Amino acid sequence: MSFVSSARLAAAASALALMAGAAVADIRVTVAEYSSLTGPFFNDAAAAFEAETGTKVNIEVVPWDVLFQKLTTDISAGAQADLSIIGTRWLIDFASEDLVAPLDDLISDDLRERFVPAFLEPSVMDGQLLGLPVAASARAMYFNSDLMEQAGVDSVPENWEELADAAAKISALGDDIYGFGLQGAEIETDVYYYYALWSYGGDLITAEGTSGLGTQAAVDAAEMYRGLIDSGVTEPGVTSYNREDVQNLFKQGRVGFMITAPFLATQIANEVPDLNYGVAAIPAGPDGGRGTYGVTDSIIMFENSPNKEEAAAFLDFVFGHDWRVRFDSGEGFLPVTSSVAEDPAFAEDPVLSVFASLLPTARFAPTIAGWEEIAAIASDAMQSIYLGQVEIEPTLSAAADRINALLP
Amino acid sequence: MKRSLLVNPYVLVAPGFILAALIILWPLAEIANIAVHDVNRFGVLRGYVGLENFRVIFADPEFLGALRRTAIWVFGIVAGSILISIPVAMILNGDFYGRGLARVIIMLPWAISLTMTAIVWAWALNGESGMLNSGLRALGIIDRNVQWLAQASTAFPMQILIGILVTIPFTITIFLGGLSSIPDDLYEAAQLEGANGWQVFREITLPLLKPFVNIAVVMNTIYVFNSFPIIWVTTQGGPAKSTDILVTYLYKLGFQYGRLDDASALSILMFVLLLAFTLLYVRLAMREEKA
Repeated sequence: MSFVSSARLAAAASALALMAGAAVADIRVTVAEYSSLTGPFFNDAAAAFEAETGTKVNIEVVPWDVLFQKLTTDISAGAQADLSIIGTRWLIDFASEDLVAPLDDLISDDLRERFVPAFLEPSVMDGQLLGLPVAASARAMYFNSDLMEQAGVDSVPENWEELADAAAKISALGDDIYGFGLQGAEIETDVYYYYALWSYGGDLITAEGTSGLGTQAAVDAAEMYRGLIDSGVTEPGVTSYNREDVQNLFKQGRVGFMITAPFLATQIANEVPDLNYGVAAIPAGPDGGRGTYGVTDSIIMFENSPNKEEAAAFLDFVFGHDWRVRFDSGEGFLPVTSSVAEDPAFAEDPVLSVFASLLPTARFAPTIAGWEEIAAIASDAMQSIYLGQVEIEPTLSAAADRINALLP
Repeated sequence: MKRSLLVNPYVLVAPGFILAALIILWPLAEIANIAVHDVNRFGVLRGYVGLENFRVIFADPEFLGALRRTAIWVFGIVAGSILISIPVAMILNGDFYGRGLARVIIMLPWAISLTMTAIVWAWALNGESGMLNSGLRALGIIDRNVQWLAQASTAFPMQILIGILVTIPFTITIFLGGLSSIPDDLYEAAQLEGANGWQVFREITLPLLKPFVNIAVVMNTIYVFNSFPIIWVTTQGGPAKSTDILVTYLYKLGFQYGRLDDASALSILMFVLLLAFTLLYVRLAMREEKA
């Protein structure tokens, strides 16, 4: 045997040994990249965990947009990590294929009791706890105080009628200033419409189990938004504005009101600290109805994980108080554990406390397999309506029919 | 003389064929298998359903819309890029000062990743802060910002224009190769006979360039048909699916809605469509050449 090939064999053997070693103790965690701070946070936590327990944790940071695709690919190849962050509304898709390990017997009561109970609920299915909430967010209305003052709007609009008036006054301030920022493109176009739908008393899924788009509330809410567009108080061409685009307009001080998540406050603090703004509840409907969108992401353990105990130990570690404070404040998420919620960094924050006060009216996306497709149908219907080329009522009822065909 | 088995053509072709089969035929067989099964969103086969997935695709009104737009998309870009590339290639083939630099400039877009080009264009087309609007306003052509990507009637033509722009370098490369193969004495003879520029182009350049035009049509069609980044980056097929072509529709089916079975059926349909077009075109082009 020549030297070269024996050296190769030795290298291959040591690589195999390394891999075998890895299979015993290392755990892999897939995390969604919420911001540039996410990767460093989890890597620091992993390093601290390794120093404490000797278990190496490999963190895989994946951008949100491709997270689902990566998980799908990993799962179909049987190569998923031990733990992964997922959108909680995907949980049913994973659980119905028996991919998720129930955590009831794996985690301590102490860990379970750290969470605000309401946030654990979306992860409980058939009495089993399938995930832990890792990030929580709700939506509220941001207002630009300077624009309101210039336009002579004295108080923050309480309902949509007042909002339309205030937005009209702000729009009149200049050609490139818009009263109400309306998101009409890409992910969560449907959610931006649900804010109005809920305040008009509608639901995503009615009591009869059909799509809420087929109800009068849905038509009223859509007519109200279309009215805002037609009267020129939104930015022009709403169907080309995704959430970031509208947020950028707000940061530039060119939009009076917009609805979005707490992370905009974090961005404003970092990018335009001088912007004079505030946060309030989403306007109410004619009958005083209100609703905001609550979103949680969960961290789950895959059923085929060979290292369940080590993975559970890492969960216990990363949900410690100090780590959670750093994570939530860095990312601009709402606290999911009681001790963090009581921490002065959150309880006394003027923005986050508003969001936290809205949580009781928060609605979560229904746990229905294939929700993404239903969301896409609703988004498409709204885009057609925003473009003004269709009749509202038939468009919504056609969308409702398509959604009903997908509902279980 | 008895030849060694090692120079038998089939043996010589075998390694390449096996490699191609592994890369092309094996996934094709896998996809065909998925396409006739009920599959969950994680790729687990659940039961044989025959052609049901294909029926679902044909029954989907969005499929027909995407099919129609794909035809416009491919025809627009392929025809547009060839129409522009022929004169540009003829200029670049001539001898002038700075030709090397001009060639580099024309080829540059090719060196940049298509996704990056698309992102830059998405910024340029932005309704509020885009360069295109501020440029047109500065020139006095428009007095209000145009929201280019807000509706298909402006977004889709712009996407086709971007597609033409990024297809030109490759097309010009083919034509430059073709032009350099035309012997100079043909032009000299034509000049002696007193032919004008248009006649020279019609009677000499175009006929001799024809095989290269055919190559450009076939290769660009294959490439453009499956081109994803431009549309995805600028509009994601929106608003309301009005700029979806087959490949973006396929991506939504597979990776957003998790309908891997329907997506596989659509992939097979697209493969057959493209193969049929290519064979047909090559057939027609060849016959014409023989005649």
